[in-house]
Amino acid sequence: MSDSLTILGLESSCDDTAAAVVRHAPGHPAEILASVVVGQTELHETFGGVVPEIAARAHTEKLDLAVEEALDRAGLSLAQVDAIAVTSGPGLIGGVLAGVMCAKGLSAGSGKPLVGVNHLAGHALTPRLTDGIAFPYLMLLVSGGHCQFLLVEGLDEFTRLGGTIDDAPGEAFDKAAKLMGLPQPGGPAVEEAAHRGDPARFAFPRPLLDRPGCDMSFSGLKTALLRARDERVAAEGGLRMGDRDDLCASFQAAVADVLAEKSRRALKTYMELSPPSPVIAVAGGVAANMTIRAALESVAAAAGAEFLAPPLSLCTDNAAMIAWAGLEAFRAGQRDGMDLSARPRWPLDRKSPALLGSGKKGAKA
Amino acid sequence: MPPEPLILGFDTSAAHCAAALVSGGKVLTHVREDMARGQAERLMPLLEEVLADQGATWGDLSAIGVGIGPGNFTGIRISVAAARGLALSLGIPAVGVSALEAQAHGLPGVVVSSLDARREMLYLQVLGDGGGTGPELCSVERLPEVPTGAAPLCVGHMADEIAARCAGTVTAPTVEPAEAIALIAETRRNGAARPAPLYIRPADAAPPRDAGPVILP
Repeated sequence: MSDSLTILGLESSCDDTAAAVVRHAPGHPAEILASVVVGQTELHETFGGVVPEIAARAHTEKLDLAVEEALDRAGLSLAQVDAIAVTSGPGLIGGVLAGVMCAKGLSAGSGKPLVGVNHLAGHALTPRLTDGIAFPYLMLLVSGGHCQFLLVEGLDEFTRLGGTIDDAPGEAFDKAAKLMGLPQPGGPAVEEAAHRGDPARFAFPRPLLDRPGCDMSFSGLKTALLRARDERVAAEGGLRMGDRDDLCASFQAAVADVLAEKSRRALKTYMELSPPSPVIAVAGGVAANMTIRAALESVAAAAGAEFLAPPLSLCTDNAAMIAWAGLEAFRAGQRDGMDLSARPRWPLDRKSPALLGSGKKGAKA
Repeated sequence: MPPEPLILGFDTSAAHCAAALVSGGKVLTHVREDMARGQAERLMPLLEEVLADQGATWGDLSAIGVGIGPGNFTGIRISVAAARGLALSLGIPAVGVSALEAQAHGLPGVVVSSLDARREMLYLQVLGDGGGTGPELCSVERLPEVPTGAAPLCVGHMADEIAARCAGTVTAPTVEPAEAIALIAETRRNGAARPAPLYIRPADAAPPRDAGPVILP
């Protein structure tokens, strides 16, 4: 009997249906035996954003197929896994529910334990899956739905140093692409146009840089972009491609500046803990943007911390990170019952005051 | 080992959590708990209680029947997702059964089966005697054609009004929804396709209003 664990993971909290199998034995690198991600971009593109009901419908009919394919690629049967991990929040509730119910069915029928995983913990623990790094490390989670700095000191010890008070940067890129008449998802489209443009032509604001701390805001930046676009459209009778490239480059530069400066502040707080081997890791699709990545790399180097960006396939939503977070939780003794709830809101840091959605249902993330 | 295959049927497509075990065309046990929310938490424990009631375990099942709606979208998905997970882990078929058909189960002749679709609309299907219509969304003022002289039985939401308009007779379902689902699944379990929700109504989504700027070279 070895200490090796093999975990099946399921993810369905936004618009990717994913299943993966991860194996790990203490003292060895983790192995991703299979990672299946079925996207839904084409289902949502005519609506200019993810439609929750459409996403939930797709997850319900794709999840078991993704699980079958992941097991098949791993060359394993369900009987050969040790537990079933599933994203049980936060996220679009219809999709999370489909995942949780499918996982319960898999668990009941196979007799394998069920482990509910926080989607954000999946992202935040990914550097341990890919690089086996030790606590404490600093995490910048920057995606279409989230933006926060997390001090990760243990499997369930997260301190949020700051985060967005309105839009996430990925959302801002998507909205910018819409304003620019570029296709979705907006991140790659805006980055490509920005590559040809002049980042200094339009002086866009750097929101909240004048305030202490690590909180961010990207909503006003989007409004500034809209005003600048309308001014160009009024002058030219339409948006010239050269202007569009400059607008994209200037927008991207503003986002990169804000993320870099706030990262510098977060790193300062983190370095005060005197971590033996300091690391700042990123996760989320926005980490794929090369301008933003370069800005973060230089801030990390200046602070004396290693910059760690997992491969893009593990930065964006995937189930390997859920299997991994489930594996770590399972090893620590977590088991969930058949009454496991799907949670639309589930902040990792339960101590810091909420940044978003602090209504009676509690913080979003 | 029971002499006949054991079938578990369940449904959360309306404001309930319901399950039934059947074997050889007979209902062994049935439970329905009415609830407006909480089905996702309650369903699996309820199924385990129903199995335990007959001294059975998951491994004793030969097939699963699941209610696919029409009804509450989220409720439909709760059961369908669970059924697909169970079918995969147990290596047995899961059979999707429509709520309109379940409601008409065991009724003779032509049956007009209807469910509340909200917003003053009905989910409605004409079933029976070699034909009928597909399930559809309609108002009571615009019912699909019922064969002339069929004298249908009308069951479900607004059955009174429907019966008055098609010279039918109002009746009640012969069995509970979960019972009907399990009984129907028992007869269709061979070669059944994976269950998929029967929403009928499309997802509420509209294309964006802002079309974006005119792009000039």
